[in-house]
Amino acid sequence: MEYETVLTTCPYCGCGCKYYIEVIDGVAKDVLPCKEDPISQGKLCIKGWNAVDFVYSGDRLKTPLIKENGKFREASWDEAYGLIASKFKDIKGTHGANALGLLSSAKTTNEENYLMQKFARSVIVTNNVDHCARLCHASTVAGLAAAFGSGAMTNSTPEVEEADCILITGSNTTEQHPLIGSRIFKAKENGAKIILIDPRAIQLSKFADLHLRQRPGTDVAWINGFIHVIIEEGLADEEFITTRTENFEELKELVKDYTPERVEEITGIPKEDLVKAARMYAGADSASIIYSMGITQHTTGVDNVKSCANLSMVTGNLGKPSTGVNPLRGQNNVQGACDLGALPNVFPGYQAVVNPDFREKFEKAWGMAEKIPDNIGLTVVEMMNEAHKGNLKCIYIMGENPMISDPDITHVKEALENLDFLVVQDLFVTETAALADVVLPGTSFLEKDGTFTATDRRVQRVRKAIEPIGDSRPDWKIICELAQRMGSKGFEFKSPKEIQDEIASLTPIYGGITYDRLDELGYLQWPCPNAEHAGTVFLHKDKCSRGPGHFFAVEYKPPAELPDEKYPFTLTTGRILFHFHTGTMTRRSEKLNKEVPTGYVEINPQDAEELGIKDGEKVKVSTRRGTIDIPAYVTRKVPLKTVFIPFHFNECAANMLTNPALDPIAKIPEFKVCACKIETIGE
Amino acid sequence: MEDEVRKRIAEMLDSGEVTAVIALKDVLGMTTPCVFKKGDDLSSLRLSPHYPLATLAMKMHKMDPEYKIAILCRGCDERALLEMAKRNQIDMDKLSIIGIACDEETAKDCNCSVPYPSCEDLIGEKLEELELGDAFEDYKRMSTAEKLEFWKKQFEKCNKCYGCRNICQMCFCKDCELENELWLKKGRLPPDFPVYHLIRAFHLAGKCVGCGECESACPAGIPLMTINRLLRDDMKELFDYVVGNTEEVNPLYTKEEF
Repeated sequence: MEYETVLTTCPYCGCGCKYYIEVIDGVAKDVLPCKEDPISQGKLCIKGWNAVDFVYSGDRLKTPLIKENGKFREASWDEAYGLIASKFKDIKGTHGANALGLLSSAKTTNEENYLMQKFARSVIVTNNVDHCARLCHASTVAGLAAAFGSGAMTNSTPEVEEADCILITGSNTTEQHPLIGSRIFKAKENGAKIILIDPRAIQLSKFADLHLRQRPGTDVAWINGFIHVIIEEGLADEEFITTRTENFEELKELVKDYTPERVEEITGIPKEDLVKAARMYAGADSASIIYSMGITQHTTGVDNVKSCANLSMVTGNLGKPSTGVNPLRGQNNVQGACDLGALPNVFPGYQAVVNPDFREKFEKAWGMAEKIPDNIGLTVVEMMNEAHKGNLKCIYIMGENPMISDPDITHVKEALENLDFLVVQDLFVTETAALADVVLPGTSFLEKDGTFTATDRRVQRVRKAIEPIGDSRPDWKIICELAQRMGSKGFEFKSPKEIQDEIASLTPIYGGITYDRLDELGYLQWPCPNAEHAGTVFLHKDKCSRGPGHFFAVEYKPPAELPDEKYPFTLTTGRILFHFHTGTMTRRSEKLNKEVPTGYVEINPQDAEELGIKDGEKVKVSTRRGTIDIPAYVTRKVPLKTVFIPFHFNECAANMLTNPALDPIAKIPEFKVCACKIETIGE
Repeated sequence: MEDEVRKRIAEMLDSGEVTAVIALKDVLGMTTPCVFKKGDDLSSLRLSPHYPLATLAMKMHKMDPEYKIAILCRGCDERALLEMAKRNQIDMDKLSIIGIACDEETAKDCNCSVPYPSCEDLIGEKLEELELGDAFEDYKRMSTAEKLEFWKKQFEKCNKCYGCRNICQMCFCKDCELENELWLKKGRLPPDFPVYHLIRAFHLAGKCVGCGECESACPAGIPLMTINRLLRDDMKELFDYVVGNTEEVNPLYTKEEF
């Protein structure tokens, strides 16, 4: 009997818990927490504990599939590669490179994301490469980069428990980032004040010193209100503002209008509570802002993020331990997928594609004969729109499932069906893969080497524990083989380690990251520019990455679609503890599925009574985009006239309903607010 | 102490007394459970932090009941094995024990009055007269209403990870009552109070060996060992039963059940 443990990083949220996989005779048996891992400290959430389940799911793809006469048939890798290469070439030849788009994956490794954007830019020669960060933290990347010069979590996960005050907004931390949630409990036990600002009552509500429930989509208003009170009461950090920032006067002028009375009118937050919360936040020695999708998934997502940055700077809560602006990244490697340039506007390390020096740098490094286009490529939702219009002819998707994750699924389906050619690389025939012309079987985190970057810029190893299932292949290998089949050079990598070495040579923030150092140190937090650098625990010490921190004076703007007579409810969407994103992995775990087998719509008891809806009864929820039938969960978690639907479930998909209206800068859709109506159907 | 353990492991493997030794070793600067075999380099052996090695022994035993295993064993691990054996989860005759004694600091951290296994060839110093004091003095002074409030507040932090059960050396039921919808609603966070936690606590009465794995695996920092310890005290007081006694069977069960 052969027994070994393999230390690897969890494939679910962005916490970055490392744990052991217990392997007996080549089979991954169980997850065992690792007591000396600095993030998890030997503790895990229910998803982490059950992370092996989906890997052995009976419906794992074991060979490539080719669609013929509307049906899939098994194919060899050789045949699949041949077909894809010739189609890609044909489409590029006929319609140009920009008629192709690629979706990379926040579930896959850094090396694979690097390769996917390299494939887009050097093989196809287009900047049309994006991934689901567009749907979660695109506004963070844009907003924090504009304010501070770096679009990432400013501080680190372990610092949370040392903060004197934690302001949590739009993050259901104990469900979505359980191991960061547990540090909030620790902080509370250490005496920290907890301010929660969230329309819904969540587990943290009971632990918060103050829970302010704003109307969905009114975040700029309450943040401006906070700043109004802070300035008014002389609680601003004048020295920090003078020495570390710019453009304060403009913000000061703007927030004059955001009196607590006016903010109450807009947000519904009682003015006394607003004042109390502002004093609590500004009065702490170290105050940390934690936020997530509740801030970012709005047509004002970038404004919301900039407002959070304003709040931290006005009180000098930046560049010090246990302070800062801390977006919690939802996916295990969404931070890394952004860092490695799986975005249409930047190369790895956020080097802008519009900058000719960077284009030249990468053309040279990749030995390209063609020129990389100087335009910013298409984003996720724009790709769907262009496909719908017939301008985009082909999409190559790795490990994403837009048929569940993107807003307005009816539109997405029409768009994908309108393509000349769709390639999907995944573990399963997902809702998206079902529409593909060719499906390629990739591998799970257990079957390959690589690195993931956790939410606090923490790069950690993913280690192969078992052999690939069936004839599936690691995604990095697939991209390399496909590139070589298309006659491209620069994809002769023998291992992810070699890919990381190329990444380090071209990506200054990852410059000092090597597998040997990761084995020795366990992790490295970027920026880590060279092999002697110990990594960076918190950003913007002494000076922001861009120089002075920039205050943006932002006015409150209402969401794109508000309730009206026809659609009187506000619909907001999100995740729950027991499932992850499009359910591709968690819904294949018996334990997780038993906890929550299907979706539901949370509705306030008073609203339910008025509509004659009983708990558990199936109801019809409709918006201007579509209609779903879904069981009602009558609960005080949601305020009056607001309903909440988790988006994991294809049989009652929240994104049939959501509004694809975009933030003008980040192009993130407004998942968090749209207008809906609820009707009984007598079931 | 490590060298002595290395010597013992080498002897057992070289002589063919056992085929495999379950222990701990250093990999990448961290301690992990491992299995040593004949000829393996033993320099990486570690003795702490504690991991639930009895569970691994049980798993391997179930895969191959004839497999001859030795296991690195603290007092709590031995108690776990003995209780497993009483429930037909493992055959002690197929198992050799490399007993190590815990030091005073570890024993006090775990509030453990028997920080050593019963084997004769124990490695390390046996701490028999350890003064633990009453760690629950403050708790015991609370009124029943205060105690309820205390636990309510603690359990409101529960993340329903099932980690306390998953890591528990004594939790090996195929169907776990924590997942039985007869008792509680699924998918709720925090789980129903107090039924979720009471089910677990009562199922550990006369079973908990005091290894502390549940508390150390709890993301919410719930003081689970307090409950377990109080139950252990009750078992002693009410039934004169001490978990891990070699012969006796838990009086809360009948023999026929096994």
